[in-house]
Amino acid sequence: MMLIISTCKDALSEIEFVNPIVALVGECVVKRFDKVKPEDIATADHIIITGTTLQDFDYLKKKWDWLKTFKKPVLGICAGMQVLAMANGQKLVNAELIGVHQVTVTDINPFCEGSFNAYFLHTKSVEGLDVLAIVGKLPAMVKVRGKEQYGCIFHPEVLNPDILRRFVGKI
Amino acid sequence: MRLGVLYSGGKDSTLALLKAKEFHTIACLISIVSENKESFMFHTPNIEVTKLQAEAMKLPLVSVKTRGEKEKELKDLKNAIASAKRTFKIQGIVTGAVRSTYQATRIQHICHELDLWCFNPLWLLDQVALLNQVVKCKIHAVISGVFAEPLDKSYLGKPIDKAMIAKLAKAAQTHAINPAGEGGEIETTVLSAPGFKKKLVVKKSAIEYANHAGTYAMQEVVLK
Repeated sequence: MMLIISTCKDALSEIEFVNPIVALVGECVVKRFDKVKPEDIATADHIIITGTTLQDFDYLKKKWDWLKTFKKPVLGICAGMQVLAMANGQKLVNAELIGVHQVTVTDINPFCEGSFNAYFLHTKSVEGLDVLAIVGKLPAMVKVRGKEQYGCIFHPEVLNPDILRRFVGKI
Repeated sequence: MRLGVLYSGGKDSTLALLKAKEFHTIACLISIVSENKESFMFHTPNIEVTKLQAEAMKLPLVSVKTRGEKEKELKDLKNAIASAKRTFKIQGIVTGAVRSTYQATRIQHICHELDLWCFNPLWLLDQVALLNQVVKCKIHAVISGVFAEPLDKSYLGKPIDKAMIAKLAKAAQTHAINPAGEGGEIETTVLSAPGFKKKLVVKKSAIEYANHAGTYAMQEVVLK
């Protein structure tokens, strides 16, 4: 079962940040971050943690400890990537990037290669995870060492839907 | 949350307004009237009727004129939103942006600078699905501008209904157009929608068309 965890505090934001991902990945279960139960995690074989709007930081108040031991594939998008970093003992740093910018892949990964444009919408970035791609000097894509947990600080649903399709095995 | 809607008077901003209204309070509309017909951000035929649309919805309207010079028009937009924040105590903005990262980026910057939430409830919505939602939500919109081949004079002034959606979807199969007009291929003006206490009635209009571009100008409109 594909589980999509929304980091959106506001239902109106979910229309913008969750629905486009659901449209791309197909059959899935959607839960807001504060409504996720242990059985939801236990029955998931892939998890996507979505982004949210710039003013929304409620997801940072939640403990995401299950990520420390979760063995199956996870893709964290924007806020979701921040969550991956925090859960794995890393720090967030203030770094604002809004709009379309060029991403350069720096390490082999299952989702993309070369350089491409992507849409960014964040005011915080991460440190301490393995970097797979960069935007300027910031990490654009990361991996948690030893786990199938990946992060995109940009929003692949906007300009790079194949990244999502590859994650869910549709390509 | 009290929200201001960036309102052009067309189907997209009206649909975005209706979606936002399901969750929040709409405190005001914000319209930018651009004198520049080439503006990427704001040019809309019949933008003047937003005054009547606001009156029909019994919502206050913050209407600001801009000469439409690139980047200067963004300052005018920021000033309009800041004015709406001061006057109507809004905490966020709603837009009808669908896929334009150019527009979305600029509005996100402004909202961030003004510490406002930004909501884009039509973001990445499929073009035909969007048109179907317009009809399903009982938004009565007419085509007020066409700006791409094969959209000709016959489209101008016509309503967005099921037959028109089929026609636009068919046109998109043979020509590189977005059926809902996301690339500026069509513009629309809403005459009535849920929340309108009165309807706009067009008493006098004029159609101008040449070289795959035309407008349906509403010259005299009344509320009934």
